Amino acid sequence: MTARTVLRAAVLTSATALLVLVTTPAFAAVTVLAHRDDGDDPGGGLSVLQTLGIFVGIPVGLFVVIAVLVSAPAMARGPRYRPGVGWWAAPIWFNGPDDAERAVREAEAPSSQGGGASARW
Amino acid sequence: MPAGDAFSERQQDDVVRAIRLARKQSQLPVSVYVGTLEGDTRAMARQLHAALGAGADQAVLVAVDPGARRLEIVTGPGVRRRLDDRAAALAALTMTSAFQAGDLSGGIANGILALAEHAHVPRSLHTDQP
Repeated sequence: MTARTVLRAAVLTSATALLVLVTTPAFAAVTVLAHRDDGDDPGGGLSVLQTLGIFVGIPVGLFVVIAVLVSAPAMARGPRYRPGVGWWAAPIWFNGPDDAERAVREAEAPSSQGGGASARW
Repeated sequence: MPAGDAFSERQQDDVVRAIRLARKQSQLPVSVYVGTLEGDTRAMARQLHAALGAGADQAVLVAVDPGARRLEIVTGPGVRRRLDDRAAALAALTMTSAFQAGDLSGGIANGILALAEHAHVPRSLHTDQP
């Protein structure tokens, strides 16, 4: 390898490295101080209150809104039956006698001929 | 657990509709009791069935105790020929599998429809022929 080739390689490498270095963001600050593009205005900055509002208030608000949307239908419907939690409601008899209590009291002894089924869950 | 109605309006409609369908489809009078069955649940359910009065012979009572997780199906002597105990047990299975999932009204409605499905319609002779 001749000295000339070595020199050429060194120049090429350093020139490329310099170009890459200049285009990195670290150098952008240096150029900004010197010159600013149109519309390149960083603005006045945020106060503590605004920062809290944007980064805490809005996420918490969204969280609350979504939680309400999820649980509101169940709250409106009221309690529902869950196996193993017990029973709370008054008895209800569909297609039963008009005066249920009296009918039960005055009913004759159940016939032993009837059938049916029992189950538990 | 706060006090409240056992079923919402819509759930009650579902049960009532199933009862009406059973009557229309297979002339099966079904009565549904949902509440506590004190003492011997089977005896209590039969007591309730007897309280149906004159129609008890032909009627089916479905008694559900959600607190004790007990289900009793009582068939009258007259209807037992159309709806045997095996069909009642099958309907009971339909209901309890829905109850396990917490669907009280849906289980009741489906169980009533299963009962109606299995109840043979008594054939009235000589009415459909000239």
